[in-house]
Amino acid sequence: MPSVLASEDHLMPNAAAESGENVASNPDETFIDLNDQRIRVLPGASDTAASFEFDAEDHTLGNALRYMIMKNPEVELCGYSIPHPSELKMNLRIQTYDGTTVYEALEKGFDDLLGLCDVVIDDFTVARDHFKAKEKS
Amino acid sequence: MSREAYAPPTLQPSSSQFNTATTDIAGPSTPYKCGECNAEVHLKKGEPIRCGECGHRVLYKMRTKRMVQFEAR
Amino acid sequence: MAPGPISPEEARRRKIVGVNAETVTNVTSTDFPGHHPGEDHEWSLEKFSQKSFKVQFHKNDPLDASFSLIGIDASIANAFRRIMIAEIPTLAIEYVFVHNNSSIVHDEVLAARLGLVPLTASLSGLNWLQFYKKPAKQDGDDGGDDRDPALDNNTVVLKLYAKCEWRGAEGVRSGETDPEKLYVNSSVYAKQITFEPTGRQNKEFPEPDGHVRPVNPDILLAKMRPGQVIDLDMHCIKGIGADHTKFSPVATATYRLLPTIDIVKPIIGNDARKFARCFPKGVIGLENVTEEESEMGEELEGMVGETKAVVKNTFKDTVSRECLRHEEFRGKVKLGRVRDHFIFSVESTGQFASDYLFLESVKILRAKCSRLKRQFANVMR
Repeated sequence: MPSVLASEDHLMPNAAAESGENVASNPDETFIDLNDQRIRVLPGASDTAASFEFDAEDHTLGNALRYMIMKNPEVELCGYSIPHPSELKMNLRIQTYDGTTVYEALEKGFDDLLGLCDVVIDDFTVARDHFKAKEKS
Repeated sequence: MSREAYAPPTLQPSSSQFNTATTDIAGPSTPYKCGECNAEVHLKKGEPIRCGECGHRVLYKMRTKRMVQFEAR
Repeated sequence: MAPGPISPEEARRRKIVGVNAETVTNVTSTDFPGHHPGEDHEWSLEKFSQKSFKVQFHKNDPLDASFSLIGIDASIANAFRRIMIAEIPTLAIEYVFVHNNSSIVHDEVLAARLGLVPLTASLSGLNWLQFYKKPAKQDGDDGGDDRDPALDNNTVVLKLYAKCEWRGAEGVRSGETDPEKLYVNSSVYAKQITFEPTGRQNKEFPEPDGHVRPVNPDILLAKMRPGQVIDLDMHCIKGIGADHTKFSPVATATYRLLPTIDIVKPIIGNDARKFARCFPKGVIGLENVTEEESEMGEELEGMVGETKAVVKNTFKDTVSRECLRHEEFRGKVKLGRVRDHFIFSVESTGQFASDYLFLESVKILRAKCSRLKRQFANVMR
């Protein structure tokens, strides 16, 4: 079974800055580097209906992304599945109405989720600092 | 040791090339632990398997001195 | 389309997951465009950040934090929970090099125990550490890189040496049977693990607080008797919980939905007291019926001064459904949970503070998105 190699990207800024060899291609094929190309369009795709295959992703991203994409009124259907539990793959199906394409819908899904995360980080930090200050006094 | 060089041990001691590896006439000794009194017992080839301190006849081999690597999983 | 604002009753009905004696109702969220004709359910960051999303803190200890995320979907809350358990990198013992172990604990069992010992160190040092890339398994000698990729920036070396000996006759009363009094090192504890910094680790893990060390000094690793020795080196690397639980930074990371209790018809007198006993302390309060109440509702007419059950604090409720088992409360109470009120409980194992872990989980989800978005752009090209 292929194992996932978590990436240093974003989480350890000082470490990543120091050594460039991090991004070097992995000699062992069974490792999936998170910086490798991990999205693939499955055959049979059209502009308004396509399935995407994500390597080394699971319900964590699958369900969250599905929710964000379903919040888009241009999207007719969005669903995800994990075809086999021992394969580290997640499939995402998007069908849109005529006004837009699946590619835009997926991109918007990523953007919306990014924006949501920023809001959660900010609000959480504020609430925590407020709580800390209140506890002290 | 290759397969050809191996000679099965016989009851008659020091019959052939067996002791050529060591210059010690008495042969090399192997340390054991006594199963009764925990004393260290050094035995040479052909010696009775018996603890020198208490006479107990169950002896244990020592653990290998080599480093052994394990995955903590 | 006629986008009329929905009534508060309707909004509440959609928000509550019903909990009955044997079944649950209204389980799925319906806040999607097109589900309710004429209503706007499109994702809007402004609406989310300014109106719907709220964070409330209940507890913020390093090893136990509790907070509520309100106005967020289960799929997102669950992603945070899953990331906390399985995807935040931590440092743990991965390789054990046994020089000597004559204790009764077998090498492989001892190694597995050591792996599960939670470690901690300076935060900056932990963030400075990088992932150790395991060398590819080599079948035969067809070349490949034989160098061990262990460096000061991806591997931390710990040592454990303990030898059990007699304490000596002095001060030990005759007939003593307590091994702690008879022998030195009869128990080997996690605090006996020592840190061997190399290279830049001397700077990144400064003494004494920054040192790589077990969070809990009193974890029992093995027991020994005189003459027995444990002598081993350990290599710690970074990993994620998806690979092995020892890398999971949380003991537990869970959420529950805020319970609701609706008393539909008044519960009076001895019934009220019995009703309160169906719940944990502090959930249901007892009040006297006031004159206004008795005048307003027909059910309370002429009951001034009688005891009446009121909902005090649903936060403490466990939703045991005990009250639904009693005939006298039938049709008088409705239990439920608020669909978008997640009460998180995060208990760290000690490597990171619990609140830090949650923030880290959001950052990881964010990093996932931006990385995949970048890779997706390559697909399009």
